[in-house]
Amino acid sequence: MTKPDAAHGGTTVTRFLAVIVSVVLWSAVVWADEAPIAGTVKAVDTSAQTVTLESTAKGKTRQVVVHLKPGTKIIRFTRSSEPGKTGFVEQALGLADLKPGWIVSVEAKHEGGKEVADVVKVVLER
Amino acid sequence: MTTRGWWLSAIGAVAVAFGLWVAAPRSSQADVTGEPHDDDKGGHVHVPAPLPYADAHVPPGVWTDAAMIARGKEIYSTKCAVCHGDSGDGKGPAGVALPLTPPDLRNKAGTAEMRDNYWFWRVSEGGLVDPFKSKGSAMPPWKGDLSVQDRWAVMAYQHTFSGHNGPHVPWEHPEMIFVGRDIYAMACVMCHGRDGKGDGSVGATLAPRRAPQPRDFTSSDFKFRSTPSGQLPTTGDLLRTITEGVRGSGGPLTFGLSGYRIMPSFRQMPIEQRLELIEYVKSLNPRFWERPEIKTVSVPPAPPMTPERLARGQTLYKDAECLACHGERGRGDGPLAPTLKDTKQFPIAATDLTEPQRFKNGARPEDVYRTLVTGLSGTPMPSYGDSLEPDQTWDLVCYVLSLSGDKGRTAGVSAR
Repeated sequence: MTKPDAAHGGTTVTRFLAVIVSVVLWSAVVWADEAPIAGTVKAVDTSAQTVTLESTAKGKTRQVVVHLKPGTKIIRFTRSSEPGKTGFVEQALGLADLKPGWIVSVEAKHEGGKEVADVVKVVLER
Repeated sequence: MTTRGWWLSAIGAVAVAFGLWVAAPRSSQADVTGEPHDDDKGGHVHVPAPLPYADAHVPPGVWTDAAMIARGKEIYSTKCAVCHGDSGDGKGPAGVALPLTPPDLRNKAGTAEMRDNYWFWRVSEGGLVDPFKSKGSAMPPWKGDLSVQDRWAVMAYQHTFSGHNGPHVPWEHPEMIFVGRDIYAMACVMCHGRDGKGDGSVGATLAPRRAPQPRDFTSSDFKFRSTPSGQLPTTGDLLRTITEGVRGSGGPLTFGLSGYRIMPSFRQMPIEQRLELIEYVKSLNPRFWERPEIKTVSVPPAPPMTPERLARGQTLYKDAECLACHGERGRGDGPLAPTLKDTKQFPIAATDLTEPQRFKNGARPEDVYRTLVTGLSGTPMPSYGDSLEPDQTWDLVCYVLSLSGDKGRTAGVSAR
């Protein structure tokens, strides 16, 4: 058995480090991935700009606090009132319009340990 | 490679594994997606409806009733289309980003295999129940908002998206009972026959030219029921029979159960498969889809057995003419016993009440109570549901179980 030279060993270490760095960078991107959340509105806090949802994942029901940022859209869908159009149109709502009991879906990003909403869509008002 | 090289390789491998674990599609702390697309139906596996909904079959005429479809369209447009889409494609504006996306109801194959009781359960309970809840379904439950008729109407309208114009029933869509059909072919066809008429090649040899014969699923005579005399059984009744088997002399033993069975117990079969099998068995008899509201016999709590109750039961045993068939001592040797025949004119024996392990409908007190109230359709055993008060029925149950002495107490408490 021959002893590998130092230069060859150094190249191997460098390759390993490169792989690790790239994997960690890639995982950081995935970490902030978007994921849909759906659930029932339990509470709305207009001062903290949050909405608390009761949501179920993998058999576990839990409360999820969704944070709103300045650009977050909250929308409901209503039938178009324009003659000849039968589809849905978006209607913008404010956070204070959301009511406990409503069912919403949220397009959110996981950022800094928080769920930050891009869009909150009202599925059902009740 | 040197020791240092091995160490570096190991550390590198651990680091890569850690990186991959971190990078796994965890997505979000509030990941409610579960496995939203675990099959080609967008996560919508058509599991058997649970027992409270298993008998919620939609009358076949509903699916093609123009007024129902029009009513369904009205409801669908205001309550459902926002997620399910105006064309039923599952791409309504509020539905596209849901963790569990609505199914495409235009998909003929997917809609065809969705049973009506599953559909009704889904509309009624929405995402409140598993397996949909675990997958993060946001479907609202509609049972509190929509009447049964309105839910049927919505389903009838949704059904039009598939392009099928007939009723949504198994004899139009055999896809919905394929699983049960295959289980039936393996486990039941030998006795009950290919078409479920009780004419399998082996069945007739079990008791040649005598009752009991394998059940004819296409007829209205089902012995073991919780429903009133003359009515079809519930899915729960069929499940009980398949699970417990039918006791009698001869036949196989079942692990964990006492006594012999003329129909084996299928309790080892997973519950989902037993329910699939029952859906197939029901499909052999369209009357399961035509019956109005199902009433079942409720069994009140068993009272304590007292000497007074036994004495009243003994009197009832005589007054109700039980002894004419079952005999004074309950040995199945009453004066009419040799003349008894079932509705197919096969000679049938009166049950020996001193051998509770042979009670076909079970020997627990509640089993005997149910048998007395419902009778055994197709046999000379009548229903006493209209002639005995519940307390009187318990009197008679106590006396019947007392006829077997210790065996009765054992059978009544523990034997199944």
